[in-house]
Amino acid sequence: MSGFLGYLVQRLIGVMVTILFVAITIFLMVRILPGDPARVIAGVLASDQDVAQIRTQLGLDKPLWTQAGIFLRDLAHGDLGTSARTSDPVTSEIMARLPYTALLAVVSLAVAIAVGLPLGALAAARAGSAADLAVSALVLFGISMPVYWLGLMLIILFSIHLRWLPAAGAGGPLAIILPAFTLAAFSVAFIARITRSSMLEVLRQDYVRTARAKGTRRRAVLWRHALRNALPPIVTIIGLQFGELLGGAILTETVFGWPGMGRLLVDSIFSRDYPMVQGLVIVFALMFALVNLAVDLLYERIDPRVRYG
Amino acid sequence: MRRRSVTAVVAIAVALFLGVAVAQSTFRIAIGVDPDTLDPAQGTTTTVDNVLDYVVEPLVTIDSSGKLVPDLAKSWETSADGKTLTFHLQQGVTFQDGTAFDASAVKWNLERLLDPNVRVPRRGQLTVIDSVDAPDASTVVLHLKQPAPALVGALSQTTVGIVSPASIDKDGNSYKNIVHPVGTGPYTYTSRRKGTDVVVTKYAGYWGEKPYYDKVQFQIVPEATTRESLLLAGQVELIILPPTSDLPALQNNPRVKVLLGPSDRTIFIAINTTKPVLSDKRVRQALNYAVDKQAIIKGVLFGAAEPMDAPLAPSLFGYQSIGAYPYDPEKAKQLLADAGVAPGSLTLDMMSPTGRYVQDFPASQAIANYLRDVGIKVSVRTMDWPTYVGTILKPKDENTTQLHLLGWAPSFMDASQQMQQFDCGQSPPNGLATSFYCDQQVQSLLDSASSEVDPQKRADLYHQASQIIWNDAPWIFLWVQSFPMAYASNVTNISGLPNEKFYAVYARPAN
Repeated sequence: MSGFLGYLVQRLIGVMVTILFVAITIFLMVRILPGDPARVIAGVLASDQDVAQIRTQLGLDKPLWTQAGIFLRDLAHGDLGTSARTSDPVTSEIMARLPYTALLAVVSLAVAIAVGLPLGALAAARAGSAADLAVSALVLFGISMPVYWLGLMLIILFSIHLRWLPAAGAGGPLAIILPAFTLAAFSVAFIARITRSSMLEVLRQDYVRTARAKGTRRRAVLWRHALRNALPPIVTIIGLQFGELLGGAILTETVFGWPGMGRLLVDSIFSRDYPMVQGLVIVFALMFALVNLAVDLLYERIDPRVRYG
Repeated sequence: MRRRSVTAVVAIAVALFLGVAVAQSTFRIAIGVDPDTLDPAQGTTTTVDNVLDYVVEPLVTIDSSGKLVPDLAKSWETSADGKTLTFHLQQGVTFQDGTAFDASAVKWNLERLLDPNVRVPRRGQLTVIDSVDAPDASTVVLHLKQPAPALVGALSQTTVGIVSPASIDKDGNSYKNIVHPVGTGPYTYTSRRKGTDVVVTKYAGYWGEKPYYDKVQFQIVPEATTRESLLLAGQVELIILPPTSDLPALQNNPRVKVLLGPSDRTIFIAINTTKPVLSDKRVRQALNYAVDKQAIIKGVLFGAAEPMDAPLAPSLFGYQSIGAYPYDPEKAKQLLADAGVAPGSLTLDMMSPTGRYVQDFPASQAIANYLRDVGIKVSVRTMDWPTYVGTILKPKDENTTQLHLLGWAPSFMDASQQMQQFDCGQSPPNGLATSFYCDQQVQSLLDSASSEVDPQKRADLYHQASQIIWNDAPWIFLWVQSFPMAYASNVTNISGLPNEKFYAVYARPAN
């Protein structure tokens, strides 16, 4: 097989190999953590017999090789096992929360792009001016403000004082606003910065000077020539940000009670829910790998010099 | 003309329907944990039990002082030899699925709890039941392997909430796992969205007093500050466990009311009595005199606790006020000197969890400071809960702990579960008596109490044991933690139960 399709297949095989490595690694890593899952799940008041019974039910009394074999065999069938904590299938637990994580990631990223890209372009176009300085200050704020603090401040303002928006939960369309803006603050900073530096790089190029000399209007120069050519690094950063956002905006989800996968991962680690942790890490890795693949494929669209296959 | 009148009728009908739909009242409660299970039998978490209490009921329950009172059983009696327990059930009770509540349903439930194929972490208290009979529709007889005076208390747990046997193969339920509980309680389980909420709806056929609100929504909000925000924004009516440091501000806020609910949770520093120096009673007593518990309660816990005056909480059967270790650093130094410990010569390692109990880590740091003031070098370290439990549960020869903070809350209001902490046979790896305390006299008192059928005699045995334990000081006896909750001033009839539960079933708007 050759050409684009061949490249795609090659990349997909690469993704599968990566996932296999991730699965083996996380399987071993959770078992290194101190603490007995059976005791954690049974609670401190349970008797030793009850704890032993739960250990057997969880399959943790089997030798390590057997556990690994069962895990990988099930994984090959797409079965991520059963949550030790809730006895529900890991897949259904994850699927109940995946849409919320995805929604938060997409909306946050949309906000971050809508705010960050123009800010970065502005800063690049007026490099060295007061506007540029203002954008830098904003960027610093976005990167430095802890999500926890920013989220709570927004809650105090918009929920308690103004009573405009819900303070927590995912009920109703308004509930996404505060979490998305809180989460976007960090990404805005990244996107603005990379947009600024990438555009500055491009604005120095000869073809831009030529365009200006030709008499092309400032705005057309900026958008049609400069930004288009500045895109590749910006798209890379956006892709990475998306992967990170999908990776569980744990603090945001905790502050706003947003029922996403990040919170689930933290709870599962604290409960030593091995199947759940394994399943979540595999799903995260898969999403991240696929997002990166999509970004790479996107390059073909936006950069005519790049051709795969 | 006809079309317009039809439209008008439809419009009125819609308006009426909407009016009726809008008139449904919902009581919103913010809790911090997402229920891991909705099966009463599998419960381990009090807050989850609290939610299930709206749907299922046990045979007996506790009142606000911790005393056992009838629930689905209107009376009970124990045989003279203590090995037969007979319950007389309420009449005219129906499960929420319409099936009749009767003795055979109770028998089914108890047998399910004893079935080793079902995961029941709290089964240990019930294994003394040998068999269950239902001689008629309103009588249940339990045959016990030996006298178990604490058993009736154990039956008050939500674990023993009676579910409808007919519901076991519907709505996704299975014998091993109930996801849709059907009980006899004042509310029926309606729905849940994982990570978001659980909703229950008023049960019209409830046998007892009907509650006010049509629906109750338990919102899952892991962050304490956010729960507080929800309350202040008027988006929920009741929250549990607000941030402790905000308690004074909340108490001064006229829009909310703060309730420091009673609790049976004792917080203490367990002293590893097998380690050198710590095995000397005088040293342990010195540690008790060295710490100013009142000051820590006021300054670190913002008043959300009461100092311990016995090895168990006042709400437990078998409690008696024993004494006090008042703050006396001079006496502490004297006792240390008597035990041959020169100032600065003793170094102790203290472990504390973080976020497990109210202000646990800050309190531990304060305690360490008090110990330093009497010439002991102390270092404090913390770790996540499962690691913590794993470390303190190591058997004696591998156990490296010296001092560690722990909280102990019996799941029903009886001294027996608390006294496990002082039972020779319950030290790791067999159990959680992490002080490794073992006194023969105390042991024989506890053994007699566990089979003593006469309540007064049983209480006396626990009093005597408490006296000895208090003097032996295997713990730094700290405080009995409160269970803080806050609710909107425009609702009323909310209280707390001493097993760290909120009681808001009969909440209603304040007029």
